[in-house]
Order: sequence, then C-alpha cells, then structure tokens
Amino acid sequence: MATTTLEPRAGTYRRSWVIEWLTTVDHKKIGILYIVNSFLFFFAAGILALVIRTELAVPGLQIVDQATYNQAFTMHGTIMLFLFIIPALSGFGNYIVPLMLGAPDMAFPRINALSFWLLPLGGLLIFSGYLFGGAAAEGWTGYAPLTGQEYGTTPGTDLWIIGLTLVGTASILGAVNFIATIFKMRAPGMTLFRMPIFVWTVLVTAVLILLATPVLAAGLIALFIDRNYGGSFFDPTVGGNPILWQHIFWFFGHPEVYIVILPAMGVVSEILPVFSRKPLFGYKAFVFATIAIGLLSFSVWAHHMFTTGEVFLPFFAFMTALIAVPTGVKMFNWLATLWRGKLMLATPMLFALGFVSMFLIGGLSGVMLSSPPIDFHVQDTYFVVAHLHYVFFGGSVFGVFAATYYWFPKMTGRKLNEPLGKVHFWIHFIGFNLAFFPMHQLGLDGMPRRISDYSPDAGWTLLNFVSTIGAFMVAVSIIPFLINVIATFINGEPAGDDPWEGNTLEWATTSPPPPYNFDRLPPIHSERPLFFLTHGHGHAAERPADLEETEEEDVEHRGGLV
Amino acid sequence: MLVLALAASGCLLPPDPATEAGQDVFNLYLLVLALAGIVFIGVEGFIIYAILRYRRQPGDDVLPEQLHGNNTVEIIWTAIPTVIVLILFTFSVITLGEVEARADEPGATIEVEGFQWQWIFRYEEGATVTGAIGDPPTLLVPVGEPVRLVLTSLDVNHAFYVPQFLIKRDLIPVGEHGVPNELEFTVTEEGTYSGQCAEFCGDSHADMTFIVEAMPRAAYDEAIAALAAGEEPPTGDGGECEVNVEIKAENLAFDIDSFEVPADTAFCIAFENLENVPHNVAIYSGGDALFTGDILDTAGSVVYEVPALPAGEYRFICDVHPQDMVGDVTATE
Repeated sequence: MATTTLEPRAGTYRRSWVIEWLTTVDHKKIGILYIVNSFLFFFAAGILALVIRTELAVPGLQIVDQATYNQAFTMHGTIMLFLFIIPALSGFGNYIVPLMLGAPDMAFPRINALSFWLLPLGGLLIFSGYLFGGAAAEGWTGYAPLTGQEYGTTPGTDLWIIGLTLVGTASILGAVNFIATIFKMRAPGMTLFRMPIFVWTVLVTAVLILLATPVLAAGLIALFIDRNYGGSFFDPTVGGNPILWQHIFWFFGHPEVYIVILPAMGVVSEILPVFSRKPLFGYKAFVFATIAIGLLSFSVWAHHMFTTGEVFLPFFAFMTALIAVPTGVKMFNWLATLWRGKLMLATPMLFALGFVSMFLIGGLSGVMLSSPPIDFHVQDTYFVVAHLHYVFFGGSVFGVFAATYYWFPKMTGRKLNEPLGKVHFWIHFIGFNLAFFPMHQLGLDGMPRRISDYSPDAGWTLLNFVSTIGAFMVAVSIIPFLINVIATFINGEPAGDDPWEGNTLEWATTSPPPPYNFDRLPPIHSERPLFFLTHGHGHAAERPADLEETEEEDVEHRGGLV
Repeated sequence: MLVLALAASGCLLPPDPATEAGQDVFNLYLLVLALAGIVFIGVEGFIIYAILRYRRQPGDDVLPEQLHGNNTVEIIWTAIPTVIVLILFTFSVITLGEVEARADEPGATIEVEGFQWQWIFRYEEGATVTGAIGDPPTLLVPVGEPVRLVLTSLDVNHAFYVPQFLIKRDLIPVGEHGVPNELEFTVTEEGTYSGQCAEFCGDSHADMTFIVEAMPRAAYDEAIAALAAGEEPPTGDGGECEVNVEIKAENLAFDIDSFEVPADTAFCIAFENLENVPHNVAIYSGGDALFTGDILDTAGSVVYEVPALPAGEYRFICDVHPQDMVGDVTATE
C-alpha cells in the first residue's frame, strides 16, 4: 500500500493562494479545478447553443451567417463533450474516488496535475480558431473529406485537431491514473465488490478511454498529415478513403458515449440509495451490467454509419439493440431501489430522478435508431439531435448537477441552498423538455440537423420556436444555480461531515477533508461502510462467503492508515 | 408543461409514406413506437408512483426494509428487454429486406450527383438537370415503377433525403475505383415531394434542396424527351460579338479576376470549363442577376451572348460556387 508516504500537512509551507492552486497535486484541489474549468467551458458552449437556437427560432437568417452558424454548432458540440461533460465527471472522479476508496490521493499525483492542465490549454487552442479567420466548422464529428484543406482553409480546423489531441492525451493519462488508483490504492477491507458503484463506473470508463481515445488520437494525427503534409488517408481524389475517418471516429465515438454516461450512472447509483435510505438493489447485477455495457460499446460503432451503404447492417443493428439489455437491467435496479424506500426529495435526488426519467427517453429513442430501416428515415435529422441531447443532457448533465449538489457540502463544508436548488431544477427540467422533446417530431418530419435555415413552408416553425424558448429557460435556470453557488460559498449553511447520511467513505472525514484525507477509517465490511457504522450489523449487506475469511485481517490492518 | 411540450410535438409520427418501402418502414415504426410507449409509460409511471407513495415523512427515522436484491427478478428483467430487443431486431431485418429489395429492371435509372451545394440529375435519355442555390432542381420519376438512383458525390459527403419516402442514402466521393451507392424506391402517389441534403457538407448545406415530381409513365416520357431536346448545348463562335472575353474555370477558380468591357454594348464571353465540375458565368449588380449563363455540368465550352451593360462596376460569379469563384467587371464609357 502507498499509504505510508502521506503528503505534508496543510500549513507546512507558506505559499500564496494562487501558487498553491497552480502547483497543487492534491487530488481534491485538482478535482475542483477540473469542475470549475468544466463549468466555464459549459457557459461558453451554452452561449453558442443560444446562438444556434436563436438563429433557428424562425425561418430566415437573422443573427449569423452560414459560416458563423457552422462554427457555432461545431464548437458547441466539441466543447460540451470534450471540455465540459467528460472533464466535469473526471473532476468528480478525481475528488471522490480516492475518498471512496479510503486512499490518501490518486496513484500518480503529478500526472494528475498534468492531465488537468492540458485541458484548458487544449480548450483554448480549439477556441482560438476564432482569432485566426474562424473556428473549425465541420461539425464535432469532422467528417472527411470536408475537413480537407481544399474545403476548409482556416487554421481553425488545425487548431481543433491539435486541441483535441491534447484533450485526448489528458483523458488517456487520467484513465491510467484512475485504473492504477482503483487497483492499487484501496484501503484494507475495500475489496472490488465492496467498491461504491461510482468507483466501478469510473473504472470501466477509464478502461474505455484507454482503449478508444488513442484511436481518435491516431485519426486526428492522420488528418493533420492529410491537411498539412500532403497525406492521403482520407482524400478520395488521391486514393484515400473518407469512410475510413468515419470508422476511426466512431470506433472512438461510440465508446465515448458510454465514457460520458457511465460515471453519471454511477453518481445516480450513489444518490438514489442514500435518498431512499435503502441499499442499491442488485449491486452485483449493476456491476456486471456496467462491464457488459463497456464490452458491447466496442461492437456498435457502425450504427452511426447505416446510411453510408458501407457496413453490414444486421450485425451492428443487433449489437446496438443488445446494449438495451444491460441498460434495462440498470433501469429496473434503480426503480427497485426506490420501491418501498423512504424518499427524500432534496435537490441531488431531484436531479438523480431527472436523470432516470430523461435518460429513459434517450435510451428508448436509441433503441428505435438501432433499427436500420427507421434509421434510414431519421438519421442526420433532429430526431438524432433529440436523442443525443436526452442522453448527454438529460443523462450526463443531470448527473453532473446531481453530483454538484450532492458533493458540494463535502468539497466546501457548506450546503447549497435547497429552495434555490429546487427552483434551478424545475426551470432546468421544464426548459430541457421544451427545448429537446419537440426535436423528435421535427426529425420525424424530416428536418435535417446542422442546417442554418429552413423554409417557412416546411411546417417546422412552431416547434423550432418552442424549442428556442426551452433553450432560453435552461439558460435562465443557470442563474439561480450560480447565485446559489456564490452565496453558499460566501455565507452558506455549514454542512457538517455527513449531511445526507451517506453510505460511502467520503462522508467519514471532515468537510472539506484534510489534505491527507482521513485521520482514521471505519471498518469496511460492505459497499456501505458508513451505513454499517451508524446502523450496525443488523442492516449490513450480506457478505459473500469468500469474502468473510479475510475480514479479521482487514480490520487489523486499518490502523496502518493513520 | 411537459404535457404541453408533448402536445406541441404532435403525435410522434413520420409523414404519410409516399413509397412502397416507406409504408413498410412506417409500419415497423408504429410497432417500435408502441413497444417504446409501453416501456415509457411503465417506467415513468412507476417513478411518479414511487415519488408519491414512498415520500419520507418529516421526523420519520425508521429505516425501510433493507432489500439488497433478488436473483429471480434480475433474471426476469434481463429477459424482458432481451425479448423486446429480439422482436425489434427480427422485424427490423424483415423490413430491411423490403427496403433494400432491388428490381431486375427498374423503370428508370437516374444518376444523382451531389456537389457543394446543389444537385445534378442525369437521365438515361440524355437529359441533365443542374440545380443552383435558390433554384432547386426537380427530379422527375415515373409513379408506380421502381426507380433506381445511382448516387455519387463530386466533392464531399452528401445525403439524398426525401422525408416522405422515409429513406435517405449518403453520396460519398469514392474515387476512381469505388462503387457508388444506390437507392431504389417505388413512388405510389403522384405529386411533388421536397427533399434536401441530410449530411452536413459545408457553408450552404441548408440550401441544398430539391424537388421530386412523380408522374404517370406517359407524362414522364414526354417530360424527359422535352428536357433532352432542350438540352442541346448552345453553340456559336462569337463572331457576331464586338468584344470577346475569354474565361476559363479550373480547380474551382476562374483564371481571371477581372475584365473590362465598353458600356452599352452587347458582348460575348467565351467560357471554357476545364473540369468535370459544374460551372457557369453570371453577371450581378449587387444581388440582382443581369445575366445568367447556362451551367456547364462537365468539361466543355460555350459562348454566352451578354446584353449591354450601363457604365459601372459589376461582379461575375459562378452560380454553383458563388463564394469561391467571383471577379470584377467594369463597363467603361
């Protein structure tokens, strides 16, 4: 165990506040840096979303020209995915995973700092295209050959490639760090099957990142060579194959969807039990479902390419539909966790329930899209836009907000204001549905995605207008959230160590935790060590027989951590 | 509000299908929507029930029963989605066979070429129609017969999409040795249907619209014959013109960026297209086209007879590539 070399206690060195945050290798400070950085990019990409929705509110080009519009949706998608959702969830992972495992830090603290600092650098490079004649404008998927030098002559596309490569590198480094931490840094007694589900989802996510992201990096480098050094990977006029890019991109891109959604599922699987005062129903089934989703995610990439005529449709249709099975198991386990519970509808729980109900819609539309004949109709229409926003926004982003409300007390020692949180949730939830539900119908009616304008005769005006109103409601809902965060930070209600009667180890230390995390650890006999501590053996998880024998030994070892 | 959003969204149905295969897709969609609807109502209904039924009352500190799981129910709810998925997959594959069916001898085979940012339709009978931004082309098809489209792209990816046919297929630049995509459908109802490019293809992606007009066989033959007759490329040596401007187009560019002509005098432009990409020359004053030359779809040459221009500054543009191919015209006294 790497538990003998604790970091120096706070106050050992006198450092300015700025230097401390710039040079920190403490996983908690890095986690907060990740989260704050992610929210800054969220606001930037959110403004781009409002530009898109304002342009589409009514027919005709009103506020931007076509080129600006194309840059806006390209940057919106790229930034939201690569610089908001993934890093935000990584940030919570960074902060919470070592605490949940009873570890003093991540396995490689300096690599941890490096993988964070690559993010703002990569993000600013991607955005800096705006200073050099226009940002990338080929869509976040950057399909060849539109990304070729002859079609996109701004340096924005090169900056997009370089920035994404850096962000991908950050992801890969972070994944290695998570895997090492989870396998090597667990406290005595914290066996794999006693790890919180959030840790399990972060582990599977890290493996997906490690296998998928290098493929994207390779594709980006090949594209860079095509654009700048006369390569011909993707250029059909000189023997390249533009479909190759789609294979490479989606071989990364589909596991990416699960990279984005699994940790959010983990967050929800922590919150639902705590606020239902019950254990997660079917812990092991949930673990196996997570692993199954991870495995299947590598066999479904070509369902993004049904209309290319270049892929074997029945195979990819079957594998894609099959993912609905482990996902369905998770859904049923969440519902069973609520069943006969005692539900406390605090803000984290509202966002978690919002996740379950909205992700369901994204999952159902995903199963519909897995059917090639249906996909032939709705592929590249607003139906797909609706689907992906119900997964990424209704799913992952609700998960990010649930995590924010849930762990804010741990991170700051102060509890976010509940009434303001509820105002945020309801405006957010209603606005989200107004913005994205009508898009299903727009897509079925045949409105293609990524168009800057549509004919007034197309019959799409009303639903687009409703959608724009919804988008602005989501933007407005951020105001009570920001007020809440700032006001709580300045003068919030003290939270105490364990404001929610949590189950997992992060609630066993102070809020915020000391730099070395724990003075002492409670014994770990189940996936709910804190519940065990409060409520005793009577309610503890049933332990599998093979884990029983190591238990005495575990308890003795815990002294070594102090 | 959610109900309002639902109501505003209509009934979540695609348009009435106008092709035989479209009807099959529509029927499959109804089945899938019904299955999804049952799951949706079941799950969301349970969540709402749980919220109403299992709220923790203030001061209630008694723990609920600590249920950890149950293998039997796990097996049951692994089986339920598996069965649903198998039903969906089976019907999808059956429908896929109908959608992908190919006639031995289609009633018409039409080559569809996409380029930034319009379409070219080439008929077997020799007629060719090329669209321009703001002037979408019409694809004529016979009704009640299988129509086969051969889909190629001259530059980037595009997608041929007619919502009422419930189908789309990508146009991919495949290079010399690639096999182009094909799409086949049988339109069941006479009428006009709007379509547009569905794969993002750059700046004017939204302008890449077209119209499909389905008509009975006799009318179709007549229309195509008329098109083919009207397609004779304009000829002439420009000998009657006073001023002869020469413009060549290659690599998506004109060879000159400006030319001068005397004011109030008709003149000729000898235009040569050196590549198999559609180009033309048009003369604009601000946004108004004063002269629009016929588009040359492939390499070739043409002489345009341009009416007299008053003294002033104008622009000449290729209507197909208005952003890249542009230059200045000066008419002097």
